[in-house]
Amino acid sequence: MPPTAEYLQQSRRNFLATSANGVGLLALASLLQSDGLLRAAAPADRRPQPHFPPKAKNCICIYLEGAPSQIDLFDPKPKLNELHGQKLPESLTKNVRFAFIQKETATILGCKRKFFKRGQCGMELSDLLPHLGTVADDICLIRSMHTEAFNHHPGQLLMNTGSTMFGRPSMGSWLNYGLGSESQNLPGYVVLTAGRGTSGGTSNWGSGFLPSSYAGVLFRNSGDPVLNLSNPAGLSDAMQSATIEAVRDLNGIRHATIADPEINSRIAAYELAYKMQSAAPELIDLSKEDKKTLDAYGIDRPEPDIKAHRGGGKGQFRAFATNCLLARRLVERGVRFVSLFHASWDHHSNLDVELPHNCLMADQPVATLIKDLKQRGLLDETLVLWLSEFGRTPLGENRNGNPNVTGRDHHPFCFSIWAAGGGIKGGQVIGQTDDIGWGIEEDPIHINDLHATILHLFGLDHTKLTYKFQGRDFRLTDVGGKVVQKMLA
Amino acid sequence: MVLGAGLATSATAADNPPGATRLPPAADGKIHFDTDIKPILAAHCVQCHGPAKQRGGLRLDTGAHAQEGGNSGPVIVAGRSAESPLIQALVGQEPYQRMPPGEGKQLPAEDIGKLRAWIDQGAPWGSAISIVETTVEKSQHWSFQPIQRPAVPAGTNPQARIHNPIDQFILARLEREKIAPAPPADKATLLRRVALDLTGLPPTPAELDAFLNDDSPQAFEKVVDRLLASPHYGERWGRHWLDAARYADSDGYEKDTGRPFAWRYRDWVIAAFNADMPFDQFTIEQLAGDLLPNATLQQKIATGFHRNTLTNKEGGVDQEEFRVAAVVDRVNTTGSVWLGLTLGCAQCHDHKYDPISQREFYQLFAFFNADQEVDIAAPLPGEAERLEKQLADFNAEKAQLEAAIQEAKEKNLPATELKKRETALANHLKKAPRGSQAPTIALGPPRKTYVMPRGDFLRRGVEVTPNTPAVLPPIRRSAGASGPLTRLDLARWLVAPDNPLTARVIVNWVWGKFFGRGLVATPEDFGTQGEKPSHPELLDWLASEFRAPSGAATGEGGVSPAAAWSLKRLHKLIVMSATYQQSSVVRPELRQRDPLNVLLARQQRLRLEAELLRDRALAVSGLLNLTVGGPSIRPPQPPGISELTYANSAKWIESTGPEKYKRGLYIWFQRTSPYPMLMTFDAPDSNVCVVRRERSNTPLQALTLLNDAVFVEAAQALGRRILTEYPNATDCDRLRALFRLSLSRNPEPVEVDRLTKLLQTFRHLATDNGAQAEKLLGPHKPQNVPPAEAAAWVAVARTLLNLDEFVTRD
Repeated sequence: MPPTAEYLQQSRRNFLATSANGVGLLALASLLQSDGLLRAAAPADRRPQPHFPPKAKNCICIYLEGAPSQIDLFDPKPKLNELHGQKLPESLTKNVRFAFIQKETATILGCKRKFFKRGQCGMELSDLLPHLGTVADDICLIRSMHTEAFNHHPGQLLMNTGSTMFGRPSMGSWLNYGLGSESQNLPGYVVLTAGRGTSGGTSNWGSGFLPSSYAGVLFRNSGDPVLNLSNPAGLSDAMQSATIEAVRDLNGIRHATIADPEINSRIAAYELAYKMQSAAPELIDLSKEDKKTLDAYGIDRPEPDIKAHRGGGKGQFRAFATNCLLARRLVERGVRFVSLFHASWDHHSNLDVELPHNCLMADQPVATLIKDLKQRGLLDETLVLWLSEFGRTPLGENRNGNPNVTGRDHHPFCFSIWAAGGGIKGGQVIGQTDDIGWGIEEDPIHINDLHATILHLFGLDHTKLTYKFQGRDFRLTDVGGKVVQKMLA
Repeated sequence: MVLGAGLATSATAADNPPGATRLPPAADGKIHFDTDIKPILAAHCVQCHGPAKQRGGLRLDTGAHAQEGGNSGPVIVAGRSAESPLIQALVGQEPYQRMPPGEGKQLPAEDIGKLRAWIDQGAPWGSAISIVETTVEKSQHWSFQPIQRPAVPAGTNPQARIHNPIDQFILARLEREKIAPAPPADKATLLRRVALDLTGLPPTPAELDAFLNDDSPQAFEKVVDRLLASPHYGERWGRHWLDAARYADSDGYEKDTGRPFAWRYRDWVIAAFNADMPFDQFTIEQLAGDLLPNATLQQKIATGFHRNTLTNKEGGVDQEEFRVAAVVDRVNTTGSVWLGLTLGCAQCHDHKYDPISQREFYQLFAFFNADQEVDIAAPLPGEAERLEKQLADFNAEKAQLEAAIQEAKEKNLPATELKKRETALANHLKKAPRGSQAPTIALGPPRKTYVMPRGDFLRRGVEVTPNTPAVLPPIRRSAGASGPLTRLDLARWLVAPDNPLTARVIVNWVWGKFFGRGLVATPEDFGTQGEKPSHPELLDWLASEFRAPSGAATGEGGVSPAAAWSLKRLHKLIVMSATYQQSSVVRPELRQRDPLNVLLARQQRLRLEAELLRDRALAVSGLLNLTVGGPSIRPPQPPGISELTYANSAKWIESTGPEKYKRGLYIWFQRTSPYPMLMTFDAPDSNVCVVRRERSNTPLQALTLLNDAVFVEAAQALGRRILTEYPNATDCDRLRALFRLSLSRNPEPVEVDRLTKLLQTFRHLATDNGAQAEKLLGPHKPQNVPPAEAAAWVAVARTLLNLDEFVTRD
């Protein structure tokens, strides 16, 4: 960045720091966060401003880690039941790498699910998703996603960061970098998790080479919502408040001699931290939500017993439903990007028991979230995504030649995701796969294309949202990406 | 697409169904190379596929090159023109982009026909020499030019503070701009600055007083020498290097398995810095220690540098894919750290900006391609004897168990008895004593290297052998060696006297740590897209002084006798300069002219790195464990962090006792769930090399310093320390002592006043809530002090640990 542009940015920051009112603080926060940029030669005209008028303001990204079976949920393939137990022609599998399937003996695995036409649009959805069916007219289902990753962690990185390489910024980081945060007293990028740990861990919401202030901030849905949010044991709020005041005064004294604007930034950061200490607990306090709402999300639903641990063990129904409700509350409070993770949907085996269990957990709260956003007038500006890293094979998984086939392996050539709200054209299905769900016949959409479209909804041109690192201008869409016009309302 | 670069990816192939391109017919009659073919190639091809440029790795200016083909393989199939990629590309047949590219550049069908006929007739080449007479233009880019030792500029101002030549270079520029340098920093600031920069630890009040009371001209130099000799110097500078080495304690990716002996490399780095190992040797041992004649254990441990790459043990992954990814990372890291080049750009295609071709990338790749990851036995001092004894005991018991089995067989004892004895043996074998290990790199069996078109490891282009980029001086083979060039040759080439990059890149890296900004502001990129140096002569003077010190410098500003590639000497040169010792107070009058302090008319205030913040808090509270080296530690971290790892696999078992108070660089780094405090304060994520850290300033940092268990405990210990070490002192004296301990300077009266007021406030609040006060003391309750009084001091101590000055190196 030319020195003058950097200077402009610096002086703007100083102005905001000294006019420490609410609006100043919020803009300040994102400028402070761009501190690293002062040294990192970003394009001179970069400001947290969209490139063109946006449709979406916020995003809720529901990430079902492990790859839910699209064949059993979103993409009906009656042909599979006809072909159950048969081998695929070698021409199909010849150059294909599988994670676990033994090609020589693998056979087609039929699908036990029933599909029904839902909504006015007649979208076919599995019997495992009855609630989602009630919002079919709001969602845009894509059956023709494809990826080049067929292992979980690289796949998750590709979906969340646009690259299979470790160390790239995630979608939420890019959006906050590109647009800044609009929350007065919460971070611009909040992550909630349920289930067991994901393959990608924190790399799924990391800021990569962007300054760490763009990283997703992990909130917990109970207890202390943010790390180090509570005062130390024995330290009252009055003492904390006296501390913040003294920090401000002593830093102010120092500033009088040192004149470094960074000191003012730190004063502001402390005041924002202090605000967060009350805002974050208020966020997760659901006592003001009425019972009807809590019931609609299914917070207190009974959770059936299941032996498997893949979904994270007892307590996930409440955790996942709570996260969905918190997502709405976060968006209401201006948080730009909310990520909900649940692990795991990696059904290599026991598919017909564990997939229904996970769907029972997710279906109702997710559908309620969409209705709730809509009823509050938030859906138009909130993009809701249902994502995972890849799909599952129409072949049954016969790991190590095991004849007891009860699951499906990783399938990168086609999988299903959906989007709703935030400028998305609902009530439609995009893309078509072949009769056995092996490959795409119509409208292939790569993850880079999806990312380009998401940025587009937020008023950002994916080729212009760049950050220079190691001598290269990086983008969320790497070197690919085309906006999928069909998805736009 | 460039001719020779090969297939499109399958995903996009679906969008571009193969066009049924028709080839023009081959020309009739005998074709003569010199009259028919040479003019076509010269006019249309060799500009991009000739001596100056080799797009896609292809040259069409000599017969040998044309026959060899491009990165994807041969382009001429003699006798079969329709199958020759050269011809296919000329008509844009899938998967090739039509050549030559651009509107209206298409070759006439007649010319294509001639080329076809020529190929069908065997593609004979007229002469061995190039068909063009272009001489390769040498890159004019500044960083590729030889390092010339510049003359030190003579200043015009006799009053100027000049400690050594660094100041002359800086002042010459400032004089041109008519800007006066800042006054020297006050002594307390200077002491704090240099102590934090060289050891990462704050000066104690006793060290502060000693320095303030030492009026001798050598006072500062004595401090510098003491700090450079401190074992904590190696920890401070070792950590900088570990950023570049992308050091971590786990594999990364899904399983993110722990690396229990990664720290052996970290210890090697600390020791190398402490011993002031010359940087050329430091380079050679890390890149090729295993290839040195009679390599020592330590030299092998040094190769751990390139063991810090990620490993993917996820079920069902293609191991070759991640082996290649690790090799690519080794090339890129070597490029960034030593050459300041973004080699990674050439993994998939020729570098867009710098003169590095894709083929050259894979020639560098070839140096590392046959390497294997080997964990070697690396006994710690005294361990060998211990292990020998354990092994003897183990073997004795093993022999007994084997004998028992033998007996059971001979005496035909019941099957259940035999089974029992066999199980006992099997269980015993699991308990075989294992010694300490070290992760190293070792040369494996030869492995051929091919260009990977588009960086895709599944695709195979032309074969390449180890070599260095042509834009840089040539690599030399070790005397008497034969066979392909090795990693050892590469390491020696990096530190060879004619390498223009390494010395510049390293002195710039060092400079950046002392001033917050390199003389080249992009330390990772000395290529054409990087920033130009702000003081090119100073950079070259420092580089030549670093690599080949001049005797002339000896004695100036107390520079010790010459030692080539000495980092300590370079550090001393820098910190002894008046430039380094300037005040860092921001000068409002320069805000417009030099907002980023490029001209260095003052020092720069820098927020401390994550590890140093924790070190400083623990140091001033008296908790810090100063033991140097050893395995990684797991200090307390908030709950729910390690649960984020794959299926909660990376258990965080808290270190106990003094271990947990070791310095921050020893904290276990789990790649998929790093210690949160480190990340909050911009520690790198250890996935790729980092030569310059970000410095952000966020509310989460405030919450960490206010409430994180480690910082709260430091405040508790610091509060107790003040009460117990100054048992009968007044509030004012105690506050001054607390201030001196925390910030290593004497407070101003206005600061004491504000703290006095704060102390009174805390006393009231703590007394009002006596039961809570006790809790605030944690495990550091002072004896014979009422809890409310002690709590008030903890709260004041905590305030000081949150000041901007505490987190900043002034």
